Amino acid sequence: MASREHADDLLQETWLRIHRVRHTYRPGEPVLPWVYAIARRVRVDGYRRTRRIMMHETAMEVLPERPAQVESGNSLSAFDTLVATLPEGQREVVTMLKMGGLSLDEVARATSSTVGAVKQKAHRAYEKLRKLLEIRPEGGLREGIK
Amino acid sequence: MNCRDVDRVLIESEKSVTASLPAQAQGHLMSCERCRQLVRALEASDGAEAPSPALLLQLERSLAEDLQPVRPLAPQRYFLAAFAAIYVLIVAFGVYRMGAFAFSVMSPLQAIVTLGALAASAGVLTSSLVQQMVPGSRHRIPPHYVPAAVIISLMSVMAGIFQFQHEQNFWRQGWSCLRAGAPFGLLAALPFWLLLRRGAILAPRIAGAATGLLAGLVGTSALEIHCPILDAWHILIWHLGVALLGAVVGFAAGFAGEMAARNAQSAHH
Repeated sequence: MASREHADDLLQETWLRIHRVRHTYRPGEPVLPWVYAIARRVRVDGYRRTRRIMMHETAMEVLPERPAQVESGNSLSAFDTLVATLPEGQREVVTMLKMGGLSLDEVARATSSTVGAVKQKAHRAYEKLRKLLEIRPEGGLREGIK
Repeated sequence: MNCRDVDRVLIESEKSVTASLPAQAQGHLMSCERCRQLVRALEASDGAEAPSPALLLQLERSLAEDLQPVRPLAPQRYFLAAFAAIYVLIVAFGVYRMGAFAFSVMSPLQAIVTLGALAASAGVLTSSLVQQMVPGSRHRIPPHYVPAAVIISLMSVMAGIFQFQHEQNFWRQGWSCLRAGAPFGLLAALPFWLLLRRGAILAPRIAGAATGLLAGLVGTSALEIHCPILDAWHILIWHLGVALLGAVVGFAAGFAGEMAARNAQSAHH
């Protein structure tokens, strides 16, 4: 996420889209996977839009874009730093399972996938994290991890 | 218990990692430094800034309450029935217009397997599309695999049930089949799209490919009942080509729709 403003824009866009497609919620079904699925799509669209704009701006050789500044109060936790190294799909699954507290079925619904595929992604992510934890120096990662 | 078993426990455990690990997994952790490091790292997610389960539950309840007054989308079975009705009606119309000459030259086994495979493929695609209309649906097959899986399965079945022969006028006859089947696909695409737009399509490219393929299968089905040529090459290239063409056009339409929506949003921002 480039900045707090960008995050706010995406949040606003998510609520707008939820409002627009509110008739697709089926009473009795879990709400969170429905919300997450919509939010996930907004994030993907937002990412693609930003990437396209940035590519266009570079190609046009207009004034060089200043790198987005991470706000001082927005420092990443050790867990975020660790999972940031994972591929997108695996990061998404691990974050939803371990930070969002969603069940396997809910993650599968939110990511338009199956429980088996979610398990496979999580397993690959854990395998990658193990390798990463072996390679990385002790102190670098242990900050914030007791 | 090995590292893979620990993974399984971690994946299926609740958010709190250490509290839910069984004794066997704890025993493995004592001897395996790699797993110990992983568990320690995952424990860090407990302290991360995330909404508590109680807050999430409260949020979920209040959202569900707010959504209750909204008139929801019709049940899935209505959409399944509508897709099936459109499919059957247009295939019937196609056969009525072109004639059913294939049945007189096909063996009963070939007829049953061919029509069964086409019906099963249409069923899988319809089910996937109806699930894609509602965000957060439970999928049996991930939607992005469905079009490819259907095409590969159909090609395998057709290649297995029909013989590869030398066909005279391969291109001319094939082209006339493609031209005869494609309009029925096009005819089916419109009502399919009208049905789809009642839901919320989050991945237009995937939904477009699946819809195009389903519409193309309408043309393929009509051709399979009409065309008396039983050469496997002819069926694979020209009959299934109608379905494949539909998938490509549907994907392109989904992509164009996605780009148009993104451009509109960029302009708005």
